[in-house]
Amino acid sequence: MSVVDHNAIEFPRISEAEVGDYLALLKPRVMSLVVFTALVGLVIAPGHFHPILAFTSILCIAVGAGASGAMNMAYESDIDALMSRTANRPIPRGRITPPEAMAFGMILAFFSVMTLGILVNWVAGALLAFTIFFYVVIYTIGLKRWTAQNIVIGGAAGALPPVVAWAAATGSLSMEPVLLFLIIFFWTPPHFWALALFRNDDYARAGVPMLPVVAGPDATRLQILLYTIVLVAVAVAPWPLGYFDAIYGVASLVLGAGMMALAINVYRRREGKEAGRATRRLFAFSIVYLFALFATLLLEVVVRAVAPAIGAVMPVFG
Amino acid sequence: MDNPKPEGIVLTEAQKRSRRSRSIAIALALGVLVVLFFAVTMVKGPGVLVRPM
Repeated sequence: MSVVDHNAIEFPRISEAEVGDYLALLKPRVMSLVVFTALVGLVIAPGHFHPILAFTSILCIAVGAGASGAMNMAYESDIDALMSRTANRPIPRGRITPPEAMAFGMILAFFSVMTLGILVNWVAGALLAFTIFFYVVIYTIGLKRWTAQNIVIGGAAGALPPVVAWAAATGSLSMEPVLLFLIIFFWTPPHFWALALFRNDDYARAGVPMLPVVAGPDATRLQILLYTIVLVAVAVAPWPLGYFDAIYGVASLVLGAGMMALAINVYRRREGKEAGRATRRLFAFSIVYLFALFATLLLEVVVRAVAPAIGAVMPVFG
Repeated sequence: MDNPKPEGIVLTEAQKRSRRSRSIAIALALGVLVVLFFAVTMVKGPGVLVRPM
């Protein structure tokens, strides 16, 4: 006769998570920006880079970014459940447990770094490992719940993908990827603080010390304006310094004027629906701004490649 | 008197379906990795073992 009551045995939880839930852990929208900025870093790098190696590099950077997202969600599931913007993520919905997400992220991080290192080069592999470490350990675990400067310092992780891509293509670093890094680094605060202004209640409820929660909306508006001034200056600078051409220069001036106008609008309109509309407009335009600025760099590469051919056919353009 | 034989873990249809889809996704990912390593080996030729630091 058995003394074990089988009805009392607690069986392990069986996952019903679909592939889509795991894909959602990779933060696909963030990944698309990472892939795009990395692609620009790859394309503007000098020399010939075999398309298969280029594809491998972008894939590894994308998977590495996804791994960071999964580990970030595993660590932040408690606050994600409290915020309307993130309550629908797979962990707060109960589809995936935090340990499952953490294991998924760690496996992807390991494979992305090792694959990039083995197949492309170890400078890029090491930089990707550092990016993942910075995002998960320094930003998610260290800064996010501790200081209002969380996204300023943590922004470095988001700014590194084009640097990793450049290193993949060249095996080294130089001024151009550093400039791309600085543009994304100074773009991050106005972008996220604009979001934080109209999601202030969410962050306050979750106890995340975003700048509007800690210092108030007015101080945040001033910081957005100051960082936008620095961003526009940093984004235009590569043109007079001779790193990027005139197409980029003109685009950075026009787009920068748009960013400045919207940041001034956010600074001036502090009450009612107008204030909310101003911050949402700045948030939306900041995404367009970064995409357009980096797309211009791609355009310059295409123009540079096509110009000699046009010059040969029509000497006036030569 | 014999106790009924313990059934252990019996998966529901939904659990079986999601497990199968996850297994297929893992297989596809491993397949992509194999193809990737093969393709890069073809591209680099004998130089595949020479990796600049």
